[in-house]
Amino acid sequence: MTVAIETELALLIDVGSAWAKASVIGRVRGRWRLVTRAAQPTAWGAGELHRSLLERLEAAVDPRLVPGLDDLLASANRIECHTARRPGRIVVAAVSRELSGGAARRAAEAAGWQVAELVTLDDGRSLADRLATLQSLETDAWVIAGGFDGTRSPRALEAAALVASARRRGSGPVIWAGSTEIAGEVAALFEPGGCSTVDNVRPDPRHEVAAPLREHLQGLLRTVVAREDETHLAAIALPKAVGALARASGLRILAVDIGARGAISALAEPDGSFDSRIHGGGGLAGLAGTPGSAARVSRLAGDAGDEATVADLLQTLRSRPASLPETPEELSATHAAARMQAASLIEEAAQGPLDLVIGCGSTIAGAPLPAQAARILLDGLRPIGVTQLAIDTASVLGPLGTLPDDEIREGIGLLAEDLLMPLGTSVVSRGGEPGRVAMRVTVHRPGWPAAAPIEVRTGQLQVVPLARGQEAELTIEPGDGVTLGAGRRSPRIQALATGGAVGLILDARGIPIVLPRRGDDRRAMVASWRDALAREPAPGVERVA
Amino acid sequence: MSVVHRVRLPIGAVSMVEAGHVVEPAEVLATRRPPGPGVSIPIAARLHRSPADAAACLSVTAGSYLEAGERLAEDRGREVVAPSACLFLAYDRDDGSALVAPLLGNEPIVGHVRGEVSSIDEEGIELRISGALLEGVGGTGSAVHGELRVAVHEPGEELRASMIDVGATGRIMVGGSRASAETLTRARAMGVAGIVLGGVLDKELRDFEATQARRRQVGGVRGDFAVVLLEGFGKVGLDPGLFAWFQAHEGRMASLFGDLARVYVYDADPPPARRALPRPGDRVIAHRRPHAGRAGELVRVLGAPHAAASGIAVRSALVRFEHGPTVIVPLANLEATEAIPGS
Repeated sequence: MTVAIETELALLIDVGSAWAKASVIGRVRGRWRLVTRAAQPTAWGAGELHRSLLERLEAAVDPRLVPGLDDLLASANRIECHTARRPGRIVVAAVSRELSGGAARRAAEAAGWQVAELVTLDDGRSLADRLATLQSLETDAWVIAGGFDGTRSPRALEAAALVASARRRGSGPVIWAGSTEIAGEVAALFEPGGCSTVDNVRPDPRHEVAAPLREHLQGLLRTVVAREDETHLAAIALPKAVGALARASGLRILAVDIGARGAISALAEPDGSFDSRIHGGGGLAGLAGTPGSAARVSRLAGDAGDEATVADLLQTLRSRPASLPETPEELSATHAAARMQAASLIEEAAQGPLDLVIGCGSTIAGAPLPAQAARILLDGLRPIGVTQLAIDTASVLGPLGTLPDDEIREGIGLLAEDLLMPLGTSVVSRGGEPGRVAMRVTVHRPGWPAAAPIEVRTGQLQVVPLARGQEAELTIEPGDGVTLGAGRRSPRIQALATGGAVGLILDARGIPIVLPRRGDDRRAMVASWRDALAREPAPGVERVA
Repeated sequence: MSVVHRVRLPIGAVSMVEAGHVVEPAEVLATRRPPGPGVSIPIAARLHRSPADAAACLSVTAGSYLEAGERLAEDRGREVVAPSACLFLAYDRDDGSALVAPLLGNEPIVGHVRGEVSSIDEEGIELRISGALLEGVGGTGSAVHGELRVAVHEPGEELRASMIDVGATGRIMVGGSRASAETLTRARAMGVAGIVLGGVLDKELRDFEATQARRRQVGGVRGDFAVVLLEGFGKVGLDPGLFAWFQAHEGRMASLFGDLARVYVYDADPPPARRALPRPGDRVIAHRRPHAGRAGELVRVLGAPHAAASGIAVRSALVRFEHGPTVIVPLANLEATEAIPGS
């Protein structure tokens, strides 16, 4: 006798530049639940991913379903997002490396472009060298910047002429982001329609106005490079899903994904609006060969070896992005690199207090321990105030974001607690005197006896166990000169903390974190923070570092 | 076996070859005239106009290439012409002068490869090369060519400065697992064309590049030099199979493109191919520490994810390394090295 079992499956797939992640969700007893998931290097192909999922499903489902599982999986509704097939390459030509060039470069990278070359008139090269360099490059677009608004800069015109000399007519589009006074003259150097003008990225010596150029370049990236259906691009889909989640939860959310090549950050407001950035060089590969990055990663990691060893690792992350750290030292360096890249994502704009920070992608959400993921988010982003931390372990946010708006909301609602893995809540303070009390935190847990306030000194990190599903009311008394971000009228701040795999993290290490200069002191301090986050304490006992 | 190589042509380059032409590595494929330092040419004064008004009299736009005698500006019968072939860069409305960069003498564009010209367009020349292409993971330097010479005895042996003698001049040396900045500096000083390595410490490579950049600034460096890494960064030996392939092709002509991390070996058999996702029985090479660069045989793929020492739990395989232990390695860190057909 055969038993007919009605079942429904859906496949959520996120194909990154290095790793592909897939989750199978199924209707279980009337509810949609995450059934299984798999991840593998993208180069292994779709067939291998299907086989992998099938193996895991066979172990997880009702044995009566096994014979038909292959067909069931093959016919499952596929919801897929992917990283752009190739990065968009752009050349920046500007008057000054520090001012117009730096500003244009940052805007281009924040829009997701890979800057193939930055040529400036003060870069020490001869005109012939600059021209030869520009002519040797294969590029999708050009950005020219220079001259302050209200002035007529012949040097800026010279930078534009350099591009006009190196670029073939009709090839990649040109964007003028310099002095408005000479916009017409610059446009006249190129064929009709070849050059478009945006607001000056450096209108005066003191201000950088990156947004207009960045937004223009984001649009251009989609039309020039990502000609495929843009709704399936992770850079579009992830922010959309985060926006929908913010609207559904009423929370202010920042999501970050540090990928192999690039990075995505999305800041969503409770009304569902969001601001997203794609950082072309913001992935783990972006640090290789960058002067000083190996030394910084080595200092941040503390236990990853010397600068030379870390430099080799950073090159390995660039040249073999799908490979994995096998040793604790390499993992530590990789996470330090991720923390460094996460910090650079928010350097441009202070994001203000957040309600929820989500870590996405293999580097953060795939960290072996939840504490390691929490540390990348905390140390990298330094979310001031009281913030929930979570990770997208199943990589479902990106695929969900490819759906129409109403279906994204429905998907978020259906997956409920399977959507994100909560890490806990962080309380991050800024300011205070080293060694003095930065904050006194009283944790009221329903059903627990009243506890004495926990004193957290400046420079300390403490973890209070608070399991997933638990809540606690916090009374926080910041010390002298210490702030939690928002202005306050009362000496006490009341807040609600939700639990997770790590717990309640009381972090008085300041913003930014300042490490001791002496190597031994630095290593000891970094190790104590790592241990405070990672230790498995007795229930109810806080971990202090 | 043949591969296609493309040489990009800058604007204004004049091709010297035709489709079907067979070229040698040192042969000039095209010429170009690069611009020299900028010079000012008075425009407003010669036209007897104010600097602002003279702007409207310009006959050219910035970025235009001009021949000698070609008109720069014209007004009421007066004209200003280019004194020599030049690139017009900008017009200064404050002093009424044009900034132009005179074009220097012809510069050759050399392909650095041996092959047959298969196509030519204004953007580049495509050449069909009879030989093998190896793509590495990194490198430095420009394009060079020379005869291959294997300088070490073992694929994991370090290339030392003492191994480079006058016999290496003009050749491409194949080293093993590493070369110090001192070795690279000596190689360049001895006139070695280029070096192929399994790995090198990134710091050593950066130190070498910095030394060369400083020497170039003071005019102490002549000739081209390139380094290509095939396996990884750090002390990483060449795959023994690939090393044997190099030994079998010692004496062949090769071209090295340092910045592109490419090696062409002419009239060569295909090198051992690489494949992601190895299977049991495959010969594999590991890419991450602590086994980076080691070759072995994949015994079996484990049935369940295995946690490495780092704590990352992934699909892993049991690998019996040559002259070493049998260990568990994440499958993502292994590549199958396929045998050379017919070997």
